[in-house]
Amino acid sequence: MGPRDVLEGAVSMKAVILAAGEGARMGPFTASEPKVMIPVGNRPILEYVVQALVDNGVHDILVVVGYRRERILSYFQDGKAFGARMKYVVQGKQLGTAHAVAECRPQLDGTFVVLNGSNMVDAKFLADLLGHDGPGVMITQSDRPRSYGVVTVKGTKLVSITEKPAEVISNLINTGAYALDPSVFPVIEGLAGEGNHDLPAVLTALAASVGVDAVRTDGMWVDALYPWDLLRLNQAALKGVHDVRAGTIEPNVTIRGRVSIGDGCTIRSGAYLQGPLSLGAGCEIGPNAVLLPSSSLGRNVRIGALTTVANSILMDDVSLGPSSVVQDSVIGSGVTARAGLLAASGPGDVQIEGEWHPVPQIGALLGEDSELGNGVTVDPGTVVNERARVSGGARLRGTIPSGGVVL
Amino acid sequence: MGILLDSLKRLEYRGYDSAGIAVVGNGLQVYKDKGFIANLEAQLPSLEGTTGLAHTRWATHGPPSKVNAHPHVDCAGRIALAHNGIIENFAELRDRLKEKGHAFRSETDTESLVHLVESHYEGDLEAAVRSALREVRGSYAIAAVSSEEPGIVVGARNESPLVVGVGPDETFLASDVPALLKHTDKVLYMMDREMVVLTPDGAVIKDLEGRPVDREPQRITWTLEDAEKGGFEHFMLKEIFEQPAAIHETLLGRVANLDVNGFFLDGFTSVKLVACGTSYHAALAGKYILEEIAGVPASAELASEYRYSHGPQERPLVILLSQSGETADTLGAAREAKRRGCKTLAICNVIGSSLTREADKTIYTRAGLEIGVAATKTFVTQLVGLYLIALRLGLDRGTLGDEEADRLKDELRSLPRAVQGILNRADDIRALAEKYGDARDIFYIGRHVNYPIAMEGALKLKEISYIHAEAYAAGELKHGPLALLTPQTPVLAVAVRDHTYEKMRSNIGEVNARGSPVVGVGTEGDRELPKFVDDVIWVPELSPVFVPVPVTVAMQLFAYHAARKRGCPIDKPRNLAKSVTVE
Repeated sequence: MGPRDVLEGAVSMKAVILAAGEGARMGPFTASEPKVMIPVGNRPILEYVVQALVDNGVHDILVVVGYRRERILSYFQDGKAFGARMKYVVQGKQLGTAHAVAECRPQLDGTFVVLNGSNMVDAKFLADLLGHDGPGVMITQSDRPRSYGVVTVKGTKLVSITEKPAEVISNLINTGAYALDPSVFPVIEGLAGEGNHDLPAVLTALAASVGVDAVRTDGMWVDALYPWDLLRLNQAALKGVHDVRAGTIEPNVTIRGRVSIGDGCTIRSGAYLQGPLSLGAGCEIGPNAVLLPSSSLGRNVRIGALTTVANSILMDDVSLGPSSVVQDSVIGSGVTARAGLLAASGPGDVQIEGEWHPVPQIGALLGEDSELGNGVTVDPGTVVNERARVSGGARLRGTIPSGGVVL
Repeated sequence: MGILLDSLKRLEYRGYDSAGIAVVGNGLQVYKDKGFIANLEAQLPSLEGTTGLAHTRWATHGPPSKVNAHPHVDCAGRIALAHNGIIENFAELRDRLKEKGHAFRSETDTESLVHLVESHYEGDLEAAVRSALREVRGSYAIAAVSSEEPGIVVGARNESPLVVGVGPDETFLASDVPALLKHTDKVLYMMDREMVVLTPDGAVIKDLEGRPVDREPQRITWTLEDAEKGGFEHFMLKEIFEQPAAIHETLLGRVANLDVNGFFLDGFTSVKLVACGTSYHAALAGKYILEEIAGVPASAELASEYRYSHGPQERPLVILLSQSGETADTLGAAREAKRRGCKTLAICNVIGSSLTREADKTIYTRAGLEIGVAATKTFVTQLVGLYLIALRLGLDRGTLGDEEADRLKDELRSLPRAVQGILNRADDIRALAEKYGDARDIFYIGRHVNYPIAMEGALKLKEISYIHAEAYAAGELKHGPLALLTPQTPVLAVAVRDHTYEKMRSNIGEVNARGSPVVGVGTEGDRELPKFVDDVIWVPELSPVFVPVPVTVAMQLFAYHAARKRGCPIDKPRNLAKSVTVE
């Protein structure tokens, strides 16, 4: 521990956040930024992880970056604005999570925690992880265990982690959050020699040798596998939204519930805002527009007159024309839609990475910089990939390819 | 000593060809050397003392050398003094002091100042500096110490920036805030023709007649860490990637209504844009932006030329552009404009800087601190400031209709995305920069508003990669520069889809005929352009007047990656300073 740490009374514990992956299952929303930078509640998912660490007194954070790392660096910079000291380790090849941790080895001298940058966690979750000695893995119950590593435990000890099992053996899953120390590196090296670069295998090996605690938590852990999961994360994030009023709010605007309105916003007369809602800086909400829970609007978003937005994420620089309806939708940065966009919610089948997923309630998933003409109707579950151009009057269903043109 | 060296490094961006340090403790000890601060640091013994000063020099009088480095010392070795600026009557002072028997060691204007102070020194440094400054003409920010008065530093300012930092039991003096931030966030900004006496208990500011000046300290809200690279390899790259956010900030709350209190309503019929360096390129682009959006006649002029030209009888609105607000020639131009009776408007990035105090009104760019010597985000936000001004001007003067203004506002709001679009393609641009980065010369051509952007692209390339780069208005190629083209001189041609597109294509044809490889900067979706050029950098489709923003960013990346491939010191190019506070 350096004198600086003593002075500031900081915990010497370091954290490694894995943020190198692309997140291909997020469809068009990772076209130009990594999954950890997708905004929910108007902040990147990664920011919640950093916040939870800082809230627990962990300030030294190593972020393993790779895909589109500039987006992470230019947002977090040295971490000062977030109360942290953040450093970055570039993972050239994304071989696996164990490989990512091994890349940080020169900077890790004591115990450390490993977290996944795309899982939203709260301070309580981390407190449980930090509050014990020796190697540990955080486990939780899941309603879709097959998408994760399923853990077998004996008492409070880990027996093994089985990746994406064909049969359901248990609904206890690995959250990908671990407490480790430098003794893990020889194990990582050993398994890497066998071509295995993933942490679950490392933990299973450790369980057999030194023993690993399986720590159950009732803290928050929300994972986003698919774009529609983002709406769930957004709801969770907006539970913590505070009432903020900035910019210009014209007369006869109705605001109910907790609504955060950023600097330089203009809310035109007659608008109806029902929280929880979060509006980033510089938004312009047209006359008689209706914003319903739980919606997040990024920076510089324009909503036309008489347009309704409900339970949706609109990222930075989105522009929706007048008289539109957007429900249960995720709209990427820079999407522009002229008047009369209809993206109403309903049951839909969504195609991601070639596989179809039935989703009970879903609107539109519009990739960044897409341009939609007047009067476009988007069927529930439609994926419009980035930079598509859609002419007025079109009706969209299924998947529109990246850069595609719909006449 | 540690404090001095650390703080000095934070000012390295202002220019550095030599550095020096003076400490009052066991007598006066002075060490200096040529080159980077690290060179100085490597040969320093441990210096004990509680009072000291350090300086990093950027040569104006006398070449970079150990003897010309500051601080300079008097004959008796009692007084050490560092100085920014230019002493105009130094030759006359030097001759007079030499006659009196003072021995000069260096070729600098500053050394005359230290001997002048010595000639007045009778145990009171403050009084001696005051007497000396009465005989001095020119610009200065100085700091002086004496071995006979430990615990005291005397400073003075005239037309060269100087700030005082006030900490508990410590007081600091520096030419810019980053040097102080590690130690205090309370600063006092000094004004022209003011002196300051620093003691451990605080600072007393006085005018040159010795009358105390009352000044409240200001709190700096940005932190030193703002100045750190945050994981990027260079400040320049970090600042390039900050541009979408910087544009957001500059637009914030101003697109719907740029509030200027009726400033544009009367008092002028034309606009003159005045600036130096990169800001001058923004001024040149501003001419097209103001003419096209606001329909007002506009022209651009270099500040260093404007100051000494004889203005005609008309009284244009003079718009002065300077990132730092401390650029000496631009400040001089602001004073000249006022002398001629013109309204003045500043576009500036630094709150409270000298230019903002000279101008009648200021529109701030909100780019944040820029450390890289090559201007990136500050240039782009200057363009954004010009768009905002043009919109307001056009609406106020009735030359721009509401409907057209709304359309332009929508496009203005889309600029952060347009820039992000270029950043998303950074890898493609890097590949091109690496392909052409071995060239000895690269030419840039463009027309209309993209001609100044070509100039800015060429400036970026030469300042950081040291590749010889020139920009030409594409129509001028055949009037001479064509003779320079060979198959070894790549040409970067801005050929976006606007009213000059067809003409640009013929110009590219002229280049092709000489066998020079052409990199076209074209509008996304243009299927024709790839047939005429060797490589293409795509920019998003926008109204022609807004295209300079993404084109600039593409050129920044091109210059950055060319320089990186050549192993150049990107954030600190040789011979250059961030803000030029000498004339």
